[in-house]
Amino acid sequence: MTPGKHLDEMTLLLYVERQLDRERAQEVSLHTQTCTRCLTLLRALDRESRLLTRAMLEQEEPLPTRLAEFRGAVKRSMQWIWGLVFGLAVLGVYTLYAGYIEPWEQQLEQAGFGSTNLLSLLVFQGAFWKGWQSMFTLFEVLALAVLAGSAAFAFRKYIRRGSALAMVFASLGLLLAITPAASATEFRKGETVTVPKDENIKGDLFMTGNHLRMDGTVDGDVFAFGQQLDVGGHVTGDVICFAQATRISGQVDGNIRAFANNITISGTVERNVLSMNEVVNLDSNGKIGHSLTLFAQSVTLDGKIGRDFVGFFNQANLSGLIGGSLQARGQSLAISSGAEIDGKASFEGDKPAMVSNEAKLASPLEFTKHEHHTDHERGVGYYIWRLIWTAAFVLLGLVLYGLFPRFAVETVQAGEQYGAAFGLGTLVTFGLPIAAIIACVTIVGLLLGFSTLFLYVFMLLCTGIVVGTIVGQWILGRTTEFWPLAGRMALGVLLVRIVTAIPFIGFWAALAVVLWGVGAISLAVYRRLQPVVAPNIPSVPITPLSSPLPPNTTVGGM
Amino acid sequence: MSVPGRTEPTDLIVQARTGDADAWGDLYREFAPAIFRFCRRAMPTHEDAEDATMEIFMKLRGKLEQYDPTRSFTAWLYKIAANHCWDMLRRRKGRQAKETDDVDNVPLEHPDPNQLERLIEERSNEEVRKALGRLGARARMALVMRYYSDMSYDEIADALGVRRAFVGVVLLRARHELRQVLGENSALAVGGTR
Repeated sequence: MTPGKHLDEMTLLLYVERQLDRERAQEVSLHTQTCTRCLTLLRALDRESRLLTRAMLEQEEPLPTRLAEFRGAVKRSMQWIWGLVFGLAVLGVYTLYAGYIEPWEQQLEQAGFGSTNLLSLLVFQGAFWKGWQSMFTLFEVLALAVLAGSAAFAFRKYIRRGSALAMVFASLGLLLAITPAASATEFRKGETVTVPKDENIKGDLFMTGNHLRMDGTVDGDVFAFGQQLDVGGHVTGDVICFAQATRISGQVDGNIRAFANNITISGTVERNVLSMNEVVNLDSNGKIGHSLTLFAQSVTLDGKIGRDFVGFFNQANLSGLIGGSLQARGQSLAISSGAEIDGKASFEGDKPAMVSNEAKLASPLEFTKHEHHTDHERGVGYYIWRLIWTAAFVLLGLVLYGLFPRFAVETVQAGEQYGAAFGLGTLVTFGLPIAAIIACVTIVGLLLGFSTLFLYVFMLLCTGIVVGTIVGQWILGRTTEFWPLAGRMALGVLLVRIVTAIPFIGFWAALAVVLWGVGAISLAVYRRLQPVVAPNIPSVPITPLSSPLPPNTTVGGM
Repeated sequence: MSVPGRTEPTDLIVQARTGDADAWGDLYREFAPAIFRFCRRAMPTHEDAEDATMEIFMKLRGKLEQYDPTRSFTAWLYKIAANHCWDMLRRRKGRQAKETDDVDNVPLEHPDPNQLERLIEERSNEEVRKALGRLGARARMALVMRYYSDMSYDEIADALGVRRAFVGVVLLRARHELRQVLGENSALAVGGTR
């Protein structure tokens, strides 16, 4: 180093930062003992380092509320919350049915009004479900599962992941071991499976093979998977079958759920029939005690149906008896001379039904011309209204963002957690209205129920805005400022409205938007309701750089 | 980069790794304020800092299995934070490219030691923080890594994606940029002779 020549700032900085090798550091140390100017600069650089550290370490603001919330625990406990919500939703459905719908249904039936809508036929008459008795067992299992989950959660500190899994599997194994003891199930498999006339099977019967024949007695349910199925015997439970050709000539005390190419019923079914087949025949000797619900290509009904008939078909010929109402939708319907319908009859199709003058109808058949909605028929008005609605949604979004800017940002951020948003959205979308209806039905909770329903509808309206904002942020990048966020929202809402207007996929897109949006809003609300940890959380003490100079050296020898 | 007088939260980390939500919560409560401050210094806006903090802890949760207990947890955590913040800043490409060009092309003037001393003397912590907020992303990031989280030159080089020998230059340029901003608010001029 030349005496009298000053050191450059970089060298001095590296010296302060202890980044010089030993030899070079000693040179600098020697130089600063004689050069006041370099010593002053060295000191200034050192003080600058300290000032920077001090300024940065100073705690001038508390941890923001959003961060002070116990996010880690929230995230972890969400799975628990979902389980709880699901359990409550299931409980709600059961309470709704057991407490209100079932008594109403019984009262209506006693008053002479049979169930006339598809929903009640599918869900509450047991045509689709095995029956609510079975459902009750499911509720019990769910309740047990929730209870087990509670216990596992409470004692989570004492059980490790492996032992928890072992516990779950052991419990399941125990349940499975107990269940078969309650009812023995017979399994039969082969090219041809036959249950002879004099055979009596206690419990359920599973049959698989090409040709399945059941002429005996089954004191339980029959599950059949084969090419051809003949039930000529007596089944005290239900018949669930997947077969190419099914023939029921015996007696079934329960329900029939058939998924086959064709089905012929010439025997007696005491309860309901749900059928998804190409061809359905109810012979003149055939009898269905309760209702018939079907989705088929071709239908011929010559026998007797005790209650209602709901059908979706291509063409149907009716010459038998329907004790309840007729609700049909298809291309063509013919009601011939021997037919009798004791309830209300309605048909929606391409052309009016052909009704014989000799047919006995309790009331004239109501016909509704089936309207085919196509894009061409939507017209200009449709698109103008859609545009107006889009503008209305954008306006609503602006108002909401103006009123609740922080919550808006939180909601959008919650929506970006796609899995959680969709999962929670699905539960809330279907669970909340059930809870609201239950609250409405109980007189005490009428106000609460209606308020919840109102908020629910409002939340549904807002889903497009939330999802639109997320989509807008995908395109234009993330922001939290008002007007840029509003711009992204407007763009996103427009795109969402366009996508949901596309035929066929539009419905599914709209459903996805609803689930996603409801989930995002619910998640944001949930986080808001979480207790806030006090801002004086202990911070990590970080010691400032205490000694920037190399050990055993002095600045300028001082 | 371990913190003197403070033991590493080894037990908490072990428990958090097994999925203990309480341990994870304690870990979060202990480190969140420091990481938020780090992000607050490194990121341009308050919202960015909040977002970054959340994302760093979400990332940490996924990476906790990879942590080597023989090394400092604090240092490891700051490394994750620095990488994350720098990634976020780098994604804002247009602005970043302009800043880098600007910084690299400005010749460094030799400061007048006395003026520099006076400038440091007269500036408060708050003024320094405000000035930091007006720096370019790389300059700010380098200063925060070095003087807030005490990262080594190697770690800074790794995070910024520059050669180790260039880290000193980046830090010196950052200091000059800072002095420039601090000097704008007063009659003091820090530049000087060359």
